[in-house]
Amino acid sequence: MHSGLKTLIGATVVTAGLWAIPAMAQDCTTKIGAVLPTSVDWGRPIAETAAFAVDLFNVAGGVKGCKVEMILRDTQTDPKVGVDAAKALVDLEKVPVLLGAVSSGVSMPILTSVTVPSKVMQMSCCSSSTAFTAVASEGKTDGLWFRTFATTRNQSAVAALLIKERGYKNVAIFYKNDDWGQDIGKLVKADLESMGVTVPASIAITDGQSSYRSEVTEALKSQPEAIYMALYPAEGALVTREWISLGGTQKMVVANSLKSDEYRDSVGLQYLGETVGHDSAQPRTDSARGFVELYKEQFNAEPSGPGLPNSFDAAMIAMLAMEAAPDASGPSIAASVAKVTDPAGEPIFPNAEGLKKAKELLGAGKTISYQGGTGPVKFDTNGDVSAPAVAWKFDESGTQEVQYFTLDEVDAFISSLEN
Amino acid sequence: MIQALFDGVLVGSILSLGAIGLTLVMHILRFANFSHAELLSVGAYCALTFDAVLSGIAPPLANLIGPFSMSAALALSTLAAAILTGFTAVLIDRLVFRRLRDTAGPLTMVFASFGVALIMRNLIALVFGLRTERFTDAISFATMVSSDPLLLIKPDQVAILLIAVAAMAALHLLLTRTTLGFALRAVAENPTLAQVNGIALPSMIRLTWIIGGGLAAIAGVLYGIDNQLSPVMGRDLVLSLFAAAIVGGLGSVTGAMLGGFIVGLASSFAILLLPAGYKPAIPFLVILATLYIRPNGLFGEAR
Repeated sequence: MHSGLKTLIGATVVTAGLWAIPAMAQDCTTKIGAVLPTSVDWGRPIAETAAFAVDLFNVAGGVKGCKVEMILRDTQTDPKVGVDAAKALVDLEKVPVLLGAVSSGVSMPILTSVTVPSKVMQMSCCSSSTAFTAVASEGKTDGLWFRTFATTRNQSAVAALLIKERGYKNVAIFYKNDDWGQDIGKLVKADLESMGVTVPASIAITDGQSSYRSEVTEALKSQPEAIYMALYPAEGALVTREWISLGGTQKMVVANSLKSDEYRDSVGLQYLGETVGHDSAQPRTDSARGFVELYKEQFNAEPSGPGLPNSFDAAMIAMLAMEAAPDASGPSIAASVAKVTDPAGEPIFPNAEGLKKAKELLGAGKTISYQGGTGPVKFDTNGDVSAPAVAWKFDESGTQEVQYFTLDEVDAFISSLEN
Repeated sequence: MIQALFDGVLVGSILSLGAIGLTLVMHILRFANFSHAELLSVGAYCALTFDAVLSGIAPPLANLIGPFSMSAALALSTLAAAILTGFTAVLIDRLVFRRLRDTAGPLTMVFASFGVALIMRNLIALVFGLRTERFTDAISFATMVSSDPLLLIKPDQVAILLIAVAAMAALHLLLTRTTLGFALRAVAENPTLAQVNGIALPSMIRLTWIIGGGLAAIAGVLYGIDNQLSPVMGRDLVLSLFAAAIVGGLGSVTGAMLGGFIVGLASSFAILLLPAGYKPAIPFLVILATLYIRPNGLFGEAR
């Protein structure tokens, strides 16, 4: 009797809520901020995809009946411009949620000097540096930081996995002498050593040197069984040619940065037969395909640029978390992200129907498992996500996929490394 | 250890060739020419173009000679490139430096040379694109001369070393055994006195540019054979060239030769002592150390 009454009241409230939404959506607006590099050609589609997510959400009734207004500012991929833009959004527009930025170098100063001090939730679509993981694990982000882009950690683990699968026991590393290269070089070395693979040499390659012979000879001295390279095509080709000409092994594992025709042509396909590369991949799930359909319907084009599904998911998760949050403050929205990305919750794909259902469930205090363009999203305690990966090799036409690692396989491998 | 020595000598021989031209120009025209390294790119790309044309006209010329990754076509192209680069240097002097020489101060000349370097680099990028290029796509394999200590030598490296040394020897003979060489050295010592003795200054300046440009072109081709060609190769080499010239003592041809080898060896040995990431700092350290111990360089004279 009692429970029957509750259901009845619940149903009435939900129904009343549904009816009330269209009317209320006209009455109020909720602002969210976005700082994205709209002035660069690959940045604009990322911003447009976020705006598309906001439109979909508004069609479904907005956040708690209020229309969402996304205020977009350009970062010009410049940390200073990005921080100024973020500050304006947080201080003047009073946004509780900030989407962005793309480059790690822009997201980081915004996180440490704007969003965390102002208690605003920040969700980036595209920053991959492991520096964020370090900052978050030191507790300096107050749980306000999330990103929907897999970290360099994910890439380095896949490199280690490929080396393990091939049974190499002695691997030298060449890495580009910049933030990204040092990051991935260090991670791959640590992963390999934890698996019992010897790393006799880990060598920095700086751009624009008159010769890389001494670097290559240094690695060659230890006679490694295979090499791992996280380099860009121009130096990568020079180092590889030098390596092969000095009689080094042709067993090579390379990062996605060498997935280029320039590198393949410069080295010569005949020397790349035993080379395998790694790259992160979009998941092969219904929700990822669903995103592609939604995107094509809206933009009449394939979502082929970098970070598009990630941008869509970042915006959607942020808005769903606002819906689930008890109030409109940054910390409580951030705390509610877990309710939206609960693996035990009801799977939700963010089309009109899915969003309606999500709002009902969240309104009733239940949790959902958001399944978007990047598949089922799940943040770890540092606000990081994982991603599936592919292994590829060079062929006559360019590159060709040889293996697909699902999200679960990548995650299982990463946790096996950490234990 | 022996490997580092050999590699250092090889890189050094290429740097020496480039630094000689730089130091000659600095000595005779009395300004630091930051566009000199771009002449290496000009030479290398000229040779690349001639090589492609020659190989197209007479395919037998394109066959590689013995174990080397050089062909007869490339050898002829290098000679042509050396001449053309020499005249390019003269042309640049006529268009830019000569107009400034009499009126502007040394600092203006230096900045003008920066401007010339930028224009040359971007012109090459415009014509050939930013991609890297090679004279031949074949990889020449090294022979293991000894396994302990490890010593790997490529046939190309021996050829490069011989060509570089031959070019330097030819220059040495020219400067010490011919009237032209005496005239050139006289101008370098004291332009006014040289002119009083009937030496035509303008033709000596032209000769300086032709020698400097020609040697730069040969250095550029050798560098291209050893590594690869890119429009920014001049930018990548300019610091090492200046380091070599400064170490040797500005104006000293022998000094520049030795300086090139010192910088090459220092970079090569650095990796045995320091992490690879610090290698770009080596030319600066060599400059600092030299200026500290011998402010005028090894063979330089106080002016």
